[in-house]
Amino acid sequence: MSSKAFVTDADIIRGILDEDETALSRLYKLHFPMVLYFVQSNNGTEDDAKDIFQEAVIVFYEKIRAGQLELNCQIKTYLYSICRRLWLKRLSRSSRFSTGLIEDTEAELTDAQEDADQAEQNELKFTAMGNALAQLGEPCKTLLEDFYIRSMGMPEITEKFGYNNVDSAKNQKYKCLMRLKKLFFSDYQQP
Amino acid sequence: MSDRELLEFIERYRQHQVTSAERAAFEERLATDPAFAQRVKEFELFSSTLFAHGKQSQFREKLNHLHSEWKAENVVPVVAPVRRRTPMQQFMSRYGATMGVAATVAIVTVFSSLLGMEMWRSATQQNAARYVELRREVDALKRNQRALVKDVLSTTKPPVNPGQFTGTGFALTSDGYFVTSYHVIEGADSLMIENKLGIKYKVEEIYSDQVRDLALLRVIDTAFTGFGKLPYSFKQKETDLGERVFTLGYPREDIVYGEGTLSSRSGVYGDTASYQISVPLNPGNSGGPLLDDRGNMIGVISGKMLGVDGAAFAVKSAYLLSLLEQLPENRLPQPVRLPKVNTLAGNPRPQQLKKLQDFVYMVKVYN
Repeated sequence: MSSKAFVTDADIIRGILDEDETALSRLYKLHFPMVLYFVQSNNGTEDDAKDIFQEAVIVFYEKIRAGQLELNCQIKTYLYSICRRLWLKRLSRSSRFSTGLIEDTEAELTDAQEDADQAEQNELKFTAMGNALAQLGEPCKTLLEDFYIRSMGMPEITEKFGYNNVDSAKNQKYKCLMRLKKLFFSDYQQP
Repeated sequence: MSDRELLEFIERYRQHQVTSAERAAFEERLATDPAFAQRVKEFELFSSTLFAHGKQSQFREKLNHLHSEWKAENVVPVVAPVRRRTPMQQFMSRYGATMGVAATVAIVTVFSSLLGMEMWRSATQQNAARYVELRREVDALKRNQRALVKDVLSTTKPPVNPGQFTGTGFALTSDGYFVTSYHVIEGADSLMIENKLGIKYKVEEIYSDQVRDLALLRVIDTAFTGFGKLPYSFKQKETDLGERVFTLGYPREDIVYGEGTLSSRSGVYGDTASYQISVPLNPGNSGGPLLDDRGNMIGVISGKMLGVDGAAFAVKSAYLLSLLEQLPENRLPQPVRLPKVNTLAGNPRPQQLKKLQDFVYMVKVYN
């Protein structure tokens, strides 16, 4: 399975659906140079390119996993269009390039407005949550991460953190969660 | 429902661990209580973000890993296109084609409208072909503003050389002195005068005044016996405005009469040596006599103003007379005896002209 070449777009999509790491790797390495070149030709650095390309890949990946993607063009065009929009927004926000004039390195474009918006929202939420978690401090951070991200059960957590019983662990978890929520919403404005 | 209860409920709800009764009650409250719905929405957003955050940070780690892999594979990353194009270049690369099209359209429009106008003009010119030809003749004259010299190259009578130019002249004395305009005889090799009857005499130039545009000639033909008694006299004083005046001349092969009034006592550019007269004149009229109603010679036709209606000019007779007075006696082969008696006065115009026409000649210039 992993020896598959992933030459065509369909192969790659199938690979992603099958949770094949090689497909993602192939996707990344195939299309990143294009985005890198585009960003670098428009006042950007490699890190900028990496950021927006990853945002685009996340949207693409999640959409495929959710089965919501109606791809009526090449993956390359789709990714390029999203990256282009994201980069344009970033430029106009930093107003380094307020003219809205952008130099295209690819001729084909598709209207990726919605997906680009989604990628942006996604990124906003992600950063807000990351910041909130960072501000939360220990042991809350680890506790919540263990429960929600690593999907550990409450008894395990009780044991790991040395709480008297499950209820006090739950209590602690609830307090942490409320603080996180507060932190999160102070940073993130709902659209 | 407290925050905590709600939170726990939502967690259970998410994991499908609620009873159908609870679910129904929850969903109904969600539908009826907007404040509650808002709270739920907030919790949902928060907890979904929290879950997603976990997944995404893993995913991002994976991507970062891929990125470093990619970097390792491409040791020399694509050298950034250092060449930063200026905004002008970007603008051109983007809109160059459009601008090219626009420019082409503009050029085509300009030239086709110019061409169209030119064609339209030539079309209208053809409609007024006669008018144009008249103008062209006039344009040619414009170069020599005062010249009313007629080109008669096309004249018939092949055996006799018809001369290069013609003008008009008239007798000054009965014994052979003759007056015309200087510009008529300008550059002449030989001069002939010919009257209406076809009698020709050879004449020579005695004196010319370029400034006043007058020339004094004398008949040197052996066959010449005299003009006969002149019917007109020369007026010394200036004539008044509004005086009816007339002239005889040779704008073509036959003698032509023209009349009008004296419209100004100064000529071109305020030249006080000339009159302005409203007599229709044509090339060939130059040098002709200008007479008033009583038959007094009051001037010598010199030219006309182009582009101005009815503005012709004649040199005042007083200047002709002063020219004669100033001429040294020795320059003249014989003294000038001007006619003193005017026999034209009181006659009706046809009678006047009948007497006058024998003394008005066509001057032919050969060079």
